[in-house]
Amino acid sequence: MLLSLTDDQNQILDFVDTLTKPYAGVPLHDTSLALTSDALDAELVEGGFLDVAAIPELGAVTAALLVEKLARLPFAVESAATALVRPLLDPELPRPLCLIEEGQLRKPVRFLKAGATVVVVGKSGVRSFTVTDDLVRDAGDEVLYAYPMAFLTAIPADVRTHDVSADEVLRAWRVGLAAESAGLLAAALQSVTTYLSERKQFGRPLATFQALRHRLAEAQVMTNGAYWLAMRAAGTGDAGDAALAALHAQEAAKRVAYDYHQFLGAMGMTLEHPLHLWTYRLKALSGELGGRGEQALAAADTLWGAAA
Amino acid sequence: MDFNWTEDQQAFRQKLHDFLASTLPDDWEEFSKHGPASPALTEFARGFCRQLAENGMLFPHWPKEIGGEGLGPWEQQILAEVMWEWGEPRGGQYMNVNWIGPTLVKYGTEAQKAKYLPQIASGEMLWCQGFSEPDSGSDLASLRTRAVLDGDVYRVNGQKIWTSYAGLADTCFLLTRTSDDRKKGITILLVPMDTPGIVVRQIPSLIGEGDIHEVFFDDVVVPASQRFGEEGQAWEIIGFSLKNERLGIPRYHLARTALDRAVALLQEAGEFSRDAVRIEAGKCAALCEAARTANYAIVQRRVDGLDVGGESSSARYNTVMAERAVAEFIVEFVPEALTEGQPYLKMHHQRGIVAGIAAGAAEIQLNIIASDVLQLPREPR
Ligand SMILES: Cc1cc2nc3c(=O)[nH]c(=O)nc-3n(C[C@H](O)[C@H](O)[C@H](O)COP(=O)(O)OP(=O)(O)OC[C@H]3O[C@@H](n4cnc5c(N)ncnc54)[C@H](O)[C@@H]3O)c2cc1C
Repeated sequence: MLLSLTDDQNQILDFVDTLTKPYAGVPLHDTSLALTSDALDAELVEGGFLDVAAIPELGAVTAALLVEKLARLPFAVESAATALVRPLLDPELPRPLCLIEEGQLRKPVRFLKAGATVVVVGKSGVRSFTVTDDLVRDAGDEVLYAYPMAFLTAIPADVRTHDVSADEVLRAWRVGLAAESAGLLAAALQSVTTYLSERKQFGRPLATFQALRHRLAEAQVMTNGAYWLAMRAAGTGDAGDAALAALHAQEAAKRVAYDYHQFLGAMGMTLEHPLHLWTYRLKALSGELGGRGEQALAAADTLWGAAA
Repeated sequence: MDFNWTEDQQAFRQKLHDFLASTLPDDWEEFSKHGPASPALTEFARGFCRQLAENGMLFPHWPKEIGGEGLGPWEQQILAEVMWEWGEPRGGQYMNVNWIGPTLVKYGTEAQKAKYLPQIASGEMLWCQGFSEPDSGSDLASLRTRAVLDGDVYRVNGQKIWTSYAGLADTCFLLTRTSDDRKKGITILLVPMDTPGIVVRQIPSLIGEGDIHEVFFDDVVVPASQRFGEEGQAWEIIGFSLKNERLGIPRYHLARTALDRAVALLQEAGEFSRDAVRIEAGKCAALCEAARTANYAIVQRRVDGLDVGGESSSARYNTVMAERAVAEFIVEFVPEALTEGQPYLKMHHQRGIVAGIAAGAAEIQLNIIASDVLQLPREPR
């Protein structure tokens, strides 16, 4: 057992810190909630950061660490699918990678646009294709999720079949979901604790009211759990661990997302405060892979066998 | 006890539904996407409320002398439920029905009643509520916007924030400070929004178009005759107003309607079969109905002429729990609702996150339950 970071991991995370520093501030964005940066994306690709899982001395845990760290930024980056799922399929697949469940075209898809690779996972196995314009339906300007989102209108006849099991891809998907959620949870918590430590009502900082302190402290416990379960799932490669990590992440998101906006009072309803960038990503993730109930069932099936 | 509506009440509900079905435009649901405080909906509501007024459906629970039909609190609740079920086509005028009207009746001078009640009753007047300030939210009594008496006018300086409808309202129900006494130094002025020196800025938000604003007052001159109540009487008056405001919005009913719609969508998609989904839906329904009955218990107290007291905070918090659960259900199982194509569910989500904040934050409601219902000793300050 070794739960501290290796020198290599420390070094990579330091690199990423330096690289992302210019992107840590929140630019004013009055219109759409989805904040992205092509420049940041290009720098991450160029530095090979999204391919670390394939490097033996780095591996999936390092990929998960990176995904977690990038999720803390105000900018949405497609990192989880690329860093954790793509290595199982073909490291050359064009980005962004969009994961969808077979038969779930009604749901909006994160990062979907022409040129992206869609990976369809389900009963028919694992298939992928490059998205063309005619397959994308814009989700409009008023999407509340803070990711770029669009609808896939159909799955084309001509798809590539991958020689990997759907379960294995689902496992990696869950790890990515958990690692990304962990970063979002941490960033959201940080922004709320900062606000409440400064905002005064009744002549004292709001953070001194125990009613808020306890709920924030519970949020810390959930966030910490989400982080460690995500890292363990990345490290063990175990399907049960992945289901637990995804479940815990989605539970935590449900527990905190509403509270955080509540704690900010009316300020939490504005676009001026950046909190929504993290919480409205967490909301998008909480509907992924069927939500908490499905992760719980997957975990129970793996831990104790499927229901008779 | 009898948990059934009387025949008259059922007929009243049906009459309202029929009226809305025949009066609202065919594309109403898509149109209502603009949000209750948007210019488009506000403009629409002016015409629509006039029609409601002409048909005796704007204030059916008001006494006949001031333009109502003399019906009771149950009918007021039914009215509110039906309006919310249809996405609140009254826009900001719901405030007139719920608290501005009753407050004017109780505390207004004869001249003020004569001036405002007919305008309100005709369905053409929009108010805004100038309470909160940048440094005074939950701690409302710390507010600092100054009003200084100068002959027969007040001069007002300061800033309000989060003011709904400020950009479109005719008149502001404004809280000002006239002396340094924390609660007894607060005075209400009724200020026409076109008075020189008032500047309104809209705040971009997550909850829909044109909802919240900053309002700046720079040496705004208000005739003393526009003072509402006595100097220093504001705290007593808004205690009355807020109780009415808190009750007037049947969010539990909106939440339940949204839940039913979400379930219908899942059924259509053939996805309302897994236990994991069905159990969550069941829990949400229980929260909605618990909130409904808690609210009805308060309505009963009003029917009986009793003070609604701290129990109204309990009903309200219960409603917040229901709204929140349904909003989360939708995000988890019908995620497409937050994009496009389901304006009703999206509207529910946007209003749902506000439920625990506007008109007194949820934690403050919990404090009221603790002190007034449970009679716990207060936190030392
Ligand atoms: C959509 C919307 C519309 C609004 N419209 C209007 C309007 O028309 N007119 C108007 O005047 N105002 C309006 N408001 C403002 C509203 O009344 C305030 O937001 C509310 O009173 C809370 O104040 P605040 O936002 O400053 O939050 P704060 O008071 O800063 O509170 C932040 C958080 O701290 C918690 N908190 C505060 N005190 C305590 C305590 N003692 N113990 C434990 N927790 C505590 C709160 O519950 C909240 O969760 C509106 C708000 C919203 C969101």
